[in-house]
Amino acid sequence: MPEIRVTPLGAGQDVGRSCILVSIGGKNVMLDCGMHMGFNDDRRFPDFSYITRNGRLTDFLDCVIISHFHLDHCGALPYFSEMVGYDGPIYMTHPTQAICPILLEDYRKIAVDKKGEANFFTSQMIKDCMKKVVAVHLHQTVQGDYNMTPDRHLGAAWIDKCRPNLLITESTYATTIRDSKRCRERDFLKKVHETVERGGKVLIPVFALGRAQELCILLETFWERVNLKAPIYFSTGLTEKANHYYKLFITWTNQKIRKTFVQRNMFEFKHIKAFDRAFADNPGPMVVFATPGMLHAGQSLQIFRKWAGNEKNMVIMPGYCVQGTVGHKILSGQRKLEMEGRQVLEVKMQVEYMSFSAHADAKGIMQLVGQAEPESVLLVHGEAKKMEFLKQKIEQEFRVNCYMPANGETVTLPTSPSIPVGISLGLLKREMAQGLLPSAKKPRLLHGTLIMKDSSFQLVSSEQALKELGLAEHQLRFTCRVHLHDSRKEQETAARVYSHLKSVLKDHCVQHLPDGSVTVESILIQAAAHSEDPGTKVLLVSWTYQDEELGSYLTSLLKKGLPQAPS
Amino acid sequence: MDPECSQLLPALCAVLADPRQPVADDTCLEKLLDWFKTITEAGSSLQLLQENPCLVELLCHVLKPQGLSARVLSFSLRLAGVFAAQESCFQYLQQAELLPGLFGEAGPLGQAAWSAPTVRSGWIQGLRSLAQHPSALPFLADCGTLDTIFSLQGDSSLFVASAAGQLLVHILGLSLQGPAEGPPSPQACDWPVCAQKIVGHIEGSLRSMATPQVTQALNVLTTTFGHCHGPWMQVLWERLSPLVACLLQEDPLPAAHSLVDLLLSVARSPVLSSSDCGLWETLAQTLRRLSPAQAGPLALGILKLQDCPQALRAQAFGVLLQPLACVLTAADQAPGPPGLPEGTTGDSVTVDTLLSSKSACAGLLCQTLAHLELLQPLPQRPSPWPQAPLLGAAVTILRFCNGSAAPASDVGGRLCAILAGCVRVQRAALDFLGALAQETGPQELVTQVSAVLLEYLRSPDSSPTVLKKAFQATLRWLLSSPRAPGCCDLDPDTQLFLRELLPVLRKRLCSPCWEVRDSGLEFLTQVTRHWGGQAGFRHALLASEVPELAEQLLRDPESYVRASAVTAVGQLSSQGLHATAASPEQLGGQKESLLAELLHVLSTDSEGFPRRAAMQVFTEWLRDRHADVAEDTERFVARVLQAASRDLDWEVRAQGLELALVFLAQTLGQPSARCPYAVAAPQATPPGPLAQALRALSRVRLFEFAFRALFDCDRPVAQKSCDLLLFLRAQATPSGGLQEAEGSPDVPEAVLAVLRSLDLEGLRGALAESSDHVEKSPQSLLQDMLATVGVRGENQADCY
Repeated sequence: MPEIRVTPLGAGQDVGRSCILVSIGGKNVMLDCGMHMGFNDDRRFPDFSYITRNGRLTDFLDCVIISHFHLDHCGALPYFSEMVGYDGPIYMTHPTQAICPILLEDYRKIAVDKKGEANFFTSQMIKDCMKKVVAVHLHQTVQGDYNMTPDRHLGAAWIDKCRPNLLITESTYATTIRDSKRCRERDFLKKVHETVERGGKVLIPVFALGRAQELCILLETFWERVNLKAPIYFSTGLTEKANHYYKLFITWTNQKIRKTFVQRNMFEFKHIKAFDRAFADNPGPMVVFATPGMLHAGQSLQIFRKWAGNEKNMVIMPGYCVQGTVGHKILSGQRKLEMEGRQVLEVKMQVEYMSFSAHADAKGIMQLVGQAEPESVLLVHGEAKKMEFLKQKIEQEFRVNCYMPANGETVTLPTSPSIPVGISLGLLKREMAQGLLPSAKKPRLLHGTLIMKDSSFQLVSSEQALKELGLAEHQLRFTCRVHLHDSRKEQETAARVYSHLKSVLKDHCVQHLPDGSVTVESILIQAAAHSEDPGTKVLLVSWTYQDEELGSYLTSLLKKGLPQAPS
Repeated sequence: MDPECSQLLPALCAVLADPRQPVADDTCLEKLLDWFKTITEAGSSLQLLQENPCLVELLCHVLKPQGLSARVLSFSLRLAGVFAAQESCFQYLQQAELLPGLFGEAGPLGQAAWSAPTVRSGWIQGLRSLAQHPSALPFLADCGTLDTIFSLQGDSSLFVASAAGQLLVHILGLSLQGPAEGPPSPQACDWPVCAQKIVGHIEGSLRSMATPQVTQALNVLTTTFGHCHGPWMQVLWERLSPLVACLLQEDPLPAAHSLVDLLLSVARSPVLSSSDCGLWETLAQTLRRLSPAQAGPLALGILKLQDCPQALRAQAFGVLLQPLACVLTAADQAPGPPGLPEGTTGDSVTVDTLLSSKSACAGLLCQTLAHLELLQPLPQRPSPWPQAPLLGAAVTILRFCNGSAAPASDVGGRLCAILAGCVRVQRAALDFLGALAQETGPQELVTQVSAVLLEYLRSPDSSPTVLKKAFQATLRWLLSSPRAPGCCDLDPDTQLFLRELLPVLRKRLCSPCWEVRDSGLEFLTQVTRHWGGQAGFRHALLASEVPELAEQLLRDPESYVRASAVTAVGQLSSQGLHATAASPEQLGGQKESLLAELLHVLSTDSEGFPRRAAMQVFTEWLRDRHADVAEDTERFVARVLQAASRDLDWEVRAQGLELALVFLAQTLGQPSARCPYAVAAPQATPPGPLAQALRALSRVRLFEFAFRALFDCDRPVAQKSCDLLLFLRAQATPSGGLQEAEGSPDVPEAVLAVLRSLDLEGLRGALAESSDHVEKSPQSLLQDMLATVGVRGENQADCY
C-alpha cells in the first residue's frame, strides 16, 4: 500500500530548527532546514546524521523545500548543502530567495565574527547554496508559518479547497485566540504616543525583516494623522536592504499597499529617518527602531543602556528573546542587570511586550483546516501541550485524524493514489483506427482531454470534452496591419494582393472571396482605406496560431509591397 | 558550585518539581544539564548531592505518579545518570533506592509518561551516562533493563531507537572490557551476564531473518566493531560470522545496506582484518550477491582498505566499473570497451538496472561516478588506473545526457532516452570529469573532453547548476593543460580551446540567470589569477569582449553578481588586463575611471557584498602596489577610508581597518611580531622617518578613522582598530621615536597624547570577549529560569 511518511527532525513538538522529512510517492523531500537560536553548538542544527546514514545524501533526498525566510526555517541550509554535502535542488519562492541570503549572512556574521566560532559556513558557501535554489511561484504559506489576518505588508494566507491527503501546519499559537490585530495596533500606538507626549524616548528592538516594516508603516501613518513632531529613527544596516526587497516584491504584498505604492512609495517614509548613534543623546522625545531584536548586541543594546535609567522612557519588545539575552531578562521582570565588569544596570524604563509575530492563532488554524478539507492533519512548530489541545479540537470539529509527532517520530499514513479513469469509446475507436492495438509489452501513447464529471474522471476527445462541459471553443487569432501605397479603390487593391499571392504561393490554396477579402489557408486579408491618407491602403492580416509561420511570412511578404501593376 | 548558585538552586528545584509551574524555555533544561555535567566532571557528585539536598528531592519526585511534566521527567532521568556516572554517587543513589525507582518498573517505565518519546530518550541517556563503571553492570542486568533497551531498538522514534542501539554497544563494551585477564573465552557461558544477554539477543535477531530485527542487530555490531578493539572482538566475530554468512543465503537479502556497513566495519577493525580469510571470502560472496546499487558502496569500501587480497580488490573494482562499462558498450564501441580491466563488460544485471527506470539509472550512475571521484585521488586506488576509458565513459554519459551521442545499439538508444536532460547525472559526470583532470589522457580524448565541455557551456538547455559545474570542470582541465615544450606559454590545443571558450564565456556573462553570470565571473577571476601572466591567454582575452563585459556587470541588478564583477575586474586590472588598458592613447584617463568606478561602488552600492568586494580589491591593490594606487597612494587611501568610515556594513569598516593597517605597515615599516595581522608588505620602500610617516597618516585621516572605529558598536571593528592603534603606539613610543615626533612642529601631537592616555590593553581585553551580550553564566541561567516563572505565556516561543 503506498503511504506518506512524515518524520520531523526539528519542529516536532517544539519551536525552532524546523526540518521535516516527508516520503511520498517514492520521493524523499525535506521541508525546511532551520536552526535554533537558543543553542551555540551542534544542537542549533537538526541532526542530519539520521539522513546521511541512508547512504549518499543527494541520492537519498530528492529535494529540499523552504517555506519562508525565517532562520528557524532556513538557517541550516548552507550548512546542509555546503558542509554536510547535499547537492540537489532547493525550492523556495522568489521573495524567500531574495531575503534568505541577507538573513543567513547576518546569522553567519554574528556567529563567526562576533562570537568567533569556527567550523561555520562562509559567505561563499551561502552564495553557493543560493545558486542551488530553484525559485518557484507557489503560495508560500502552505506549511510554513502563516497568518490568517492580513498584515499591513503581506496579504493573509489563503488555501484552496484542495482536499489534500495530509495538511502539515504550524501551531505556535495553538491555544491562543489573539486580540484582533487592530486592538494590538491601537495598544501599541497608544503606548508610544503616551511616552512621547510625556517627553520620553521609545526604543523598539527589531530584527530587520517583516515586523520592522509593518511597525514603521503603522507609526508613519499615525504620525501623519496626529501631526506629531517627535522624530522617528531607524537604525540602518539590514533594514534598508530589506526595504529594497520589499519594493522588489511589492506584487507579493497586500492589496492596500500596492494601491498606495502607485501614489507614493510606502517604504520611503516621510517621518522616519536614518539613525546616527549621536542622536541617542539628544534631549527630548524620540522613537528608535534598532537591531538586533533580542537586545543582545549592537545598536539596540547600546541605546538601551543609555536610556534604561530613565522611567520616562520605554522599550517595546515585539518578539521572542532567547534565554541569556537582555531582552529575555527584562521581559521576565528582572530590573537589575549585571553588565560587563560586574557593573549593574538598573532598568527604570518601562518594558512592554507586544506580540506582532506573524503566526496564525487557533482560530486561523481551524479556518485553514476547514478551507482545505484535508484527510489528515499533522501539527508541527509548537509546544506539545498546546498541540494536544488543538489536536483534540481538530479531531472533534472536522472528524479527521490529527497527528503531532515528536522529533524523530515517524507518522505513516496509508494513501490510495490509484485513480480510476474511464475512457470514452469514441476516443478508443479513433485511436485503434490509427494503427496497431496496444499490448502490455508495447504501451502506446493516447492523447485526450481529462475531465472530471460527477466526481469521476474521464478521458475523452477534445471535441467531446467541449460538448460535455458545455464550453465553446475559442480561437486565437493574430492580427496585423500592413500599409500599402496604393491610391486605387480597396477592391482593386485586394485584387492585386490576390494575384500577387496567387503567383507567389503556388502550393497554397489562395482564394478571393465575394466580399472582397483574400484567404490563404486560415489567413484572412482585407483591404481598407486609410482614414487620413487617401494614397494609402491598410491591409488587415489575421491568422490562427496554427498558421503562425505562414502568417508571419505573408506579412513580411506584403510589407515589401506589391509588384508594379501595368497601369 | 559557587555560593550564589547554591542559593538559587533550592528555589529552582522546587519550581521544577511543581507540575503547575511550566518550565521556561526548551533550551534552559538542556543548558542546566550541560552545567551539571561540567560540575560533575570537575568534582565529586556525591559531595554535590550532599551539599544540595534539593537535587535528591527533585529526583524523588520522579517516583510519584503524575509527578512531573514529560520534559522535567526526562531531564531528571538524565540528571540522575550524570550523577551516577561516579561510582560513589551511584552507590549512594542505589542505597537510597532511587536508581531502581527511576529506571526500573516502578519509575516512568510503568507510567503514562512513558508514551512521550522525550521520556524514553531521557531514560536511555540517563542509563548511558551512568554506565561508566563495572558496578553499574549488575544493576543493568538485574532489573529487566536490558529487555527494555532491546525493545526500544524498534521504537517509533528514530532518536530513541538509535540511542538504544548505541547504549547496547556501550554496555557490551563495558562488560567485556572489565574482566580482561588472559584471552577471552570463546564459550559464551564464561562471559559477563550483560554480554551474554546482549550477544544472545543479537543472535536471536540475526536468526529471525526479519529485516527490522536483522537491521538492528547489524547496526549494533557495526558500531561495536567500529569502536572497540579488544582481543575479544575476534572471539565475537568468530561466533557471529556464521550467522552473518547465513544471511547471504536469504532471498531477498535482508538489510543489505546494514550488512555492507558491518562487513566494512569488521574489515577495517585492526584486530581482524590481517589474517581472516573467512572475512575476505564473505566479502567476495557479498559482492556477488548484492544488486549493482547495493554493491557500489561495498566495492568502494573494499578498495579503500589498506591491505586486502589483490583478487578481492580486482573484483571490487570490476563491480564499481560495471555501470560505466555498460555505458561504453552501449555507446557502440566494438567488442568490448578498451582499457577497462579484464572481465569488466557490462553484465546483464547492471544493464537491466540502468534500463529499469529513470531514477534507478540516474541513481546508479551518480553513485558510481561519485565513488570513482572519491577513489581517484587516493594512494591506494587500483593501479593501473584506467584513465582513458574513464574519460571516455564520462564524455559518453555527458553526450547521452545532452542528446549529442549517436548510439549504435538498442541499449544505447534506450539509455539516451532515459538520460536525456537528466540534470543530476550531468552534474555528477561533470564533477567526475573535473576530478579526472588530475592527470591527462590520450590527445584524442582530451579533445573530446574539451568539445563536450564546450557543448555544455554553449547549450541553452544547460541549467545554472550544470553550467556552474561545467565551468568548474573546464577550469580544472585548463589549469592542468600542458605547457608547450620549451616555453612557458600555452600549448596550441589549449590556445585553440581558449579561442572557442571565450566567446561562450562572453555569452554566458549576458545570461538572464544571475547564477550563470556569477559562475562565469568566478571562472574569469580564477583563470586570470592563474594565467594572467601568459602571453597567449592575455592576447586571447584582450581580443575578446570579456573584460568590457565584466566591467559592465559592475552595474548588474543582482548584488552577488556585482560583487563577483568587482573581484573579477580587480583581478584583471592587477594583471594589467583591464578592459581599457589596451588602448594606450587613453591610458591615464581610463585607468583612473576604474578606480573611480570601484570607489563609486564602495560609496553608493545599496548592498554589502559589492562594497566588501571593492574593499578587498583595494586592499589587494595597495598591498601589491598597483600602478593606479602607486600614482598617489595617500589620495587613494584617504578616499577609501573616507568612504569606508561612513559604511553601514561593519565588515566594510573592518576591511577598511585592514587597508589602514597595510598602509601603516608600508609607511612605518613591517609590523612587529606582536601584531596579530601579519601583513606581508614588500620591503621595497624603506620606512621614512617617523614624523614624516605620522604626518602622512594624518593627511589620509587614518587617525580619525581608527578612533571612530575604536568605539564602534560592532566588536570586530573596535577590536581591529584597537590592534591597529596598539601597533601604532608601539612603533611610535619605545624606540625614542616619540621624542623625534614631538620635535616636529606639525606632527599631530594631540593624537600621540590620546594614544598614550588610552588604556588600549584594557580595552583589548574587554573586546576579546564576545560582543554578544548573552549571559552564559550558570547564575544568569538560574536567575532567568526563576524569573520566568509566572510571566510565561507572554514571551512566547516564536519565529525569528
